Parts: sequence; C-alpha cells; structure tokens
Amino acid sequence: MSAVKGVSFSIAPGEMVGFLGANGAGKTTTLKMLCGLIHPSAGEVLVAGHRPQRRHPDFLRRITLVMGQKQQLIWDLPPMDSLRVNAAVYGIPDRVARRRINELSDLLELGEELTRPVRKLSLGQRMKAELLAALLHEPEVLFLDEPTLGLDVNAQMRVRQFLADYNRRTGATVLLTSHYMADITALCPRVMLIHQGQLFHDGALDRLASRLAPERHVRLELEQPAPAEAFAALGQLDRLENCEVNLRVDPALLTSVLAQILARFEVRDLEVNDPPIDQLIGELFRQGSL
Amino acid sequence: MGRYWRTLRRFWGTALATQLEYQANALIELLAVALSLGGSLLLLSLFFGPGRELGGWSWNQALMVQGFYTVFDGMSSAWLRPNLGSIVTHVREGTLDFVLLKPIDSQFWVSLRTFAPAGLSEVVLGLGLAGWGAHQSGVVFTPAVLVTVLVMLVVGGVILYSLWFLIAATSIWFVKTWNATEVLRALLASGRYPIEAYPAPLRLLFTLVLPVAFLTTVPAEVLLGRASLPLLALGIILAAGFFTAARGFWMFALRHYTSASS
Amino acid sequence: MRIFGLNWRIIRALLSSQYAHMLEYRAEIALWALSGVLPFIMLSLWSGSAARAELGLDGVALDRYFLSAFLVRQFSVVWVVYAFEEDALLGRLSPYLLQPLHPLWRYVAAHLGEQLTRLPFAALIAALFFLIQPQAFWVPSLGGLLLAWMATWMAFAIAFLLQSLIASLCFWSEKATALERLLFLPFLFFSGLLAPLTAFPPAVRAWVQWTPFPYLIDFPARVLSGDPVNLAGGFAAQLGWVLLLLPLVLLLWRAGVRRYSAMGA
Repeated sequence: MSAVKGVSFSIAPGEMVGFLGANGAGKTTTLKMLCGLIHPSAGEVLVAGHRPQRRHPDFLRRITLVMGQKQQLIWDLPPMDSLRVNAAVYGIPDRVARRRINELSDLLELGEELTRPVRKLSLGQRMKAELLAALLHEPEVLFLDEPTLGLDVNAQMRVRQFLADYNRRTGATVLLTSHYMADITALCPRVMLIHQGQLFHDGALDRLASRLAPERHVRLELEQPAPAEAFAALGQLDRLENCEVNLRVDPALLTSVLAQILARFEVRDLEVNDPPIDQLIGELFRQGSL
Repeated sequence: MGRYWRTLRRFWGTALATQLEYQANALIELLAVALSLGGSLLLLSLFFGPGRELGGWSWNQALMVQGFYTVFDGMSSAWLRPNLGSIVTHVREGTLDFVLLKPIDSQFWVSLRTFAPAGLSEVVLGLGLAGWGAHQSGVVFTPAVLVTVLVMLVVGGVILYSLWFLIAATSIWFVKTWNATEVLRALLASGRYPIEAYPAPLRLLFTLVLPVAFLTTVPAEVLLGRASLPLLALGIILAAGFFTAARGFWMFALRHYTSASS
Repeated sequence: MRIFGLNWRIIRALLSSQYAHMLEYRAEIALWALSGVLPFIMLSLWSGSAARAELGLDGVALDRYFLSAFLVRQFSVVWVVYAFEEDALLGRLSPYLLQPLHPLWRYVAAHLGEQLTRLPFAALIAALFFLIQPQAFWVPSLGGLLLAWMATWMAFAIAFLLQSLIASLCFWSEKATALERLLFLPFLFFSGLLAPLTAFPPAVRAWVQWTPFPYLIDFPARVLSGDPVNLAGGFAAQLGWVLLLLPLVLLLWRAGVRRYSAMGA
C-alpha cells in the first residue's frame, strides 16, 4: 500500500507552494520525503542539489522543518536557551546569532517572550518562537507542516504575514501544508492538491477552483412558486422549495440565463455566488473521487 | 571538532539550567543518593562479620566494588537514563524528526543532550568510596595502576553505554517496551558484589554476556594488582565490540524509521 | 448501598475496564515483572555466603523464601503516586473529583488489573526458577495459600496507603513524587526483599519491627514459603498499619481536594 504515488513536480527557488489535501492524502508524507525523513520506494528527490535521504550536513544547513503542535524548543527553559543550542549546532558565531535573533524577533514581534520559559508562553507565542529557532540558520528552503494548527485567528494572521514577508525579503523557498484554506489562499500562488496519494492539481488556486466547480451557482427567490420544468433549459436544478430556487449554470451561458430568468419570472431576490474553495475541496474529499 | 564541543557545552548548560528550575528536587535526589549508599553498605555488612569473606573478598576490598558500582550508577542516573530514556519520547511525539534534520550526528545528540547533575554526586561518592576501600586494603597508588584503573573505568563506561543504548534504540520499533532498560538496570545491580561471590554459571554470564564484571570487579582487581593482562584485553575487545554493535544498530534503526510512514 | 461511592456494579465495571486497559500494556508489564529479579540475585549471593547461617534459613528454605519474596513483590508493587501525578498534571483529576466515586478506587482497580495481567509472567518466571532449582519446588497447602494471599493483600493495602499519603501531597506540590524516592529506600532495605529480616542484627531488627516495612515482604513471603512464623502477630501488625494509615490518607486527601478546588485547579 503506497501513501504517495506518481507525484512529480519541480519547484524553483523563492516560490511559495501550498500542499492541500485531506487527512491521510499524503501531503505530510510528501513533505517528509522532501526533507529526507522518509525514503521514497521509487523515484528521485533532489532538494537544493542534494538527495535529502543522505542527510548531508550541507543539505541540512540549507533547510528547516517546522511542525505545528510539535516543538523543538526546550519546554522548561526560555526560547533564548534553545536558540543558543541551535547556534552552536549550526556553527553560527554568537555575534551573528545575536544579530539574526534581533532581526527575526522584530519581524515576529517577540520581545520579552524570549526570556520566559516556553511552558509559560501561549500557543501563538510558542509558534513564533519555534519559527525563530527554525530560521536562525537562514535556511534556503522552509518546510512547514501545518504551522498554524491550533492557533487563534489573530495568531494565524500574524504567522501568515511573517511568512509572506520572510519570503519576499530573503527569497527563501517555502513549502507549506495546511488544513486551513486561509493559509493557502493568503500565501501560496501555487497549490498542489494531493488526493489519495496522487497529484490532482499543480498550479494556481483559482484554476483549481474552476476545475472543481466549473459551474456558477444562482440562488433565486421568486414572488410565486414555479414548476421544475420551467428551469429545465436554464441549468441544473439543485433545489426547489416553494419560492426558493438553487440553480447551477454553465459559466459561458450565465448572462443569457440570468436575462431569461428576469424576463420569465418575478424575482424577489437573486444572487450569483461561487461556493468557497474549502467547500469545493471538502466536497471532493467527501466524494472520495473526482 | 570545535562545533561538537561547543554544542556539548550548550547542551549541558541548558540541562543544568533546567535542573535549577526544580531545586527542591535536586536536594531530595542528593539525600536519596546518600541514603541509598548508606543502605547498600548496611546490606553489604550483613555478609561480613568477624573473619568472614564474600567470595574471597574482604570487607575493604568489597567496598571498592561497591564504590565502582556507585560510580556507574551515577553515570546511568546522570547520562544514560535522561538521554537514552528520551529516545522513546522522541519516537512517540514525532520530535525525532527534528533531531534527524540537525546537521549534527543523531547518536551524539540523543546520547549527550542532557544530564542530571545529581548523578554526578553519585560518581564522586563512588570514587571516594572506592578510594577509601583501596586505601584500607593497602593498595599502592602508582601512576601505572591509576592509568590502568582509568582505562578500565572507561571500558566499563563504554560497555554500559552500549548495552543500554542497544536496548533503548529498540524503541524505534517497540514503543511499548520502553522499560526494557529497567530489566538491564535490575541485572546490573549484581555488580554491587564481587563476581566471585556468585556461583560459576552466573560468573560466566556476568563476564561474557552481560559484562557487569568489567564494570565493578575488574577495576577493583586492577587496584589489587590481581588483574591479568588477558582479562584487561578481553574487556577492551568487549567494549569495542559492543560500541560498534550499538552504532551499527542505530544506523539500522534509523534506516527503518525513515522508511516507515509518518 | 455505596462505600465511598462503590457498589457491585461499579466494581465489576472498574475491574473489567482496567483489566482490558492493562492488557494493552502487557509487553511493558512483562518487562516490569522481569525487572523484579533482584531477589534471585540476592539468593545466589546468600546461598554462597557463609553468613547464611545467621538467617535461620538454609538450602531449600532459602530458595523458597526468595522466590516467595519475588512473588509477593510482584503482587504488592504500588505505583499510584506516579499515575496520580500524571493525572494531576494533565488535568484528568477534575472530572474524577466530580464523580460520586472516590478517585482512589480507580487507582486500586488499575493496580488489580495490572496484577492480573502480570500473573502469567510471574508464574512463568517462577516456573523457570523451579526448572533451575527443582529441589526447591513446593506447593503450599490450601490453607497456607489462602493465608499467604491474605498477607500479600494486606501488604498491598499498606503499600498503597503509604504511597497514597505521598500522592495526596501532590495537591500541595507538584514534586511530591520525589518523596516517594526517599520512602522507597527503607522499603528496599528493610522489607525483606534483599535479605530476610533475620539477617539484621537484633538491635536493628528491634526497631524495624515497629515500621511497616517488614510486613510488606518478609512476613508474607514467610507465610507463602511455609516458614514457621508468628501468624497472629504478623496479621495483627498488618491490620494495625492499615487501620492507622487509612484515616490519615482519607483526611489528607480531603484536605488536598479542598485546596485543589480553592486554587481553581
């Protein structure tokens, strides 16, 4: 039984790519293969010119991994102590480390939190400190596995803002998996949808949306009820209850259909909307197939 | 390597800082160490009496063995239990991934990441006790003797570490048998007493299979001038062998870990 | 009718669920049983030592004593302070405290479940022992077995109450388990696990008799191994300790719970 099959892609430096998928779809597995934590049973992986599974020190210095709800910071001590350990491990001279800590803590809005024990920080503060620790050695490639998991809305927004800033400033490549569509829509111009271990989509997010739901949704409230046959030529009837009608329409025909509706019926209210992308993807996962 | 040495200093600096967060605990630990040693000596005294010996060892000579045992018990409290016991936690919580992605040897990290200072007091007490027993037994501390004892202590330490590590590394497969190292600890308690006090089959077991003899009895024999060169050579070979096995097993375990799914 | 929130239905439910829970951990429990080999190591030392003359036990009697000590230990080992500390840290206590069942009963049930799970492994180790020392094999009389079972139960009760005292202290300080580390030491040396009580000089024996420790291993082990021992005196002492510790534990626990609720958990 394979977790991931036939997944092929290449990512250029400086890109921000999001991996979408249901639980167990294979996005964390893909990420871990890129880190070298899992060996692919077939195929080749090259990251920053290295084969990740060799875990060559030069490769390890160029990447970093952040996992939501799992931390590398020492629990009982302030983040600063963990940072000093990392500085030693990555061979960063103390002067340079101090400068980077100052820069990153400014960007992350961390101050005295760095000197308080990690166990006394809120989840959002902890995640920011984790990011600082992960970026101390200025990696070229960032692997982020559900980094905003469990954070409140504000903290999520701050983390997203930071990541976008960081990518702009440093040109680091960012690979991100997330359950939260808001992460993906805010950060990733390029999205890979992994579904049942296969790469379903690789490209822009709005193209994914139109792929998943090629139709526009029209919601009508009529003055008087109308029979189902009346809508047959206009589009796919989703719902007909008294005066409320939900219709699915071919995008190319939308304007003419709307014109016909307004001409034929007395309309109290009309709305054209597209289901949010997470609903579409949720549908996809629920159906279990395409 | 300078980087490894600097990292080690940072590892133990943070370990010490963590311990100081719980000062009361440290004091109780110290008290427990002292009481434990006292109790062990009381127990040992039960075997002795006017004109009695244990396996041919006199009271003062047996004190040396107890002393060396205490040194290694301290070593396991200070380094082995806190570090190697964390392997199973890393596997359970998925934080072994962080260790594997650091540009530093994972066995180094996992084995030396932290230490419990209370164990150091045991090491010091143990050395003191062994020294006292040696002095009372009329041992002459020549440089040659001291160097040999030091070498044998290192041999013992390497054997202890490798055995413990081999068992702890199995947590990569068997998270539910994390306490297998407790069985090792229980068996090692046999090292408190000179190996000649045990019947012949156990003596063989404790020399070749579970080389407790090399931890406690052999260093004492070195001090008493009774250790033969072949015996010392055997110890060194065993240490090298066990260490190589531990290292090889770890590499094997990591290959397995990275080929399973998340 | 409920005793501290307990009735037959609850007993059955608690015991069966805890037993099922412990079965999940049987590999770990098997290893715990195996790590109890210290009495056998001591046996091999005592058998070869000239000092065994002092013990009043020799040869087969000595073998039986230490095997009995091993078995008594397996069925009286207590770990409530660790379970309790973990539950307190993880916030599991609050729901327990809100239920009309005294939380200590849960831990009792957990221990019983663990003992039942341990039984086959302890039996296996005993069988191995008899393979190595066939001359020591014996089967106690039914009466003897019942008495030994009672004595082991009482030993378990005393040990459980002692640790529960320390566990109650967790309501005041998170690090009360460190005290358990200290309490374990006199247990180790004076309970009879490492040396039968007769090994100690009379002066030491005189005051150790006033502590609960000899009644945790030495007394039950002698009952099991069929060694002539003062049954009435031993059981009386065990009962005395239970009657002394039980109200202490309940009082301390209640005070602790009051503090816990006052602190807002």
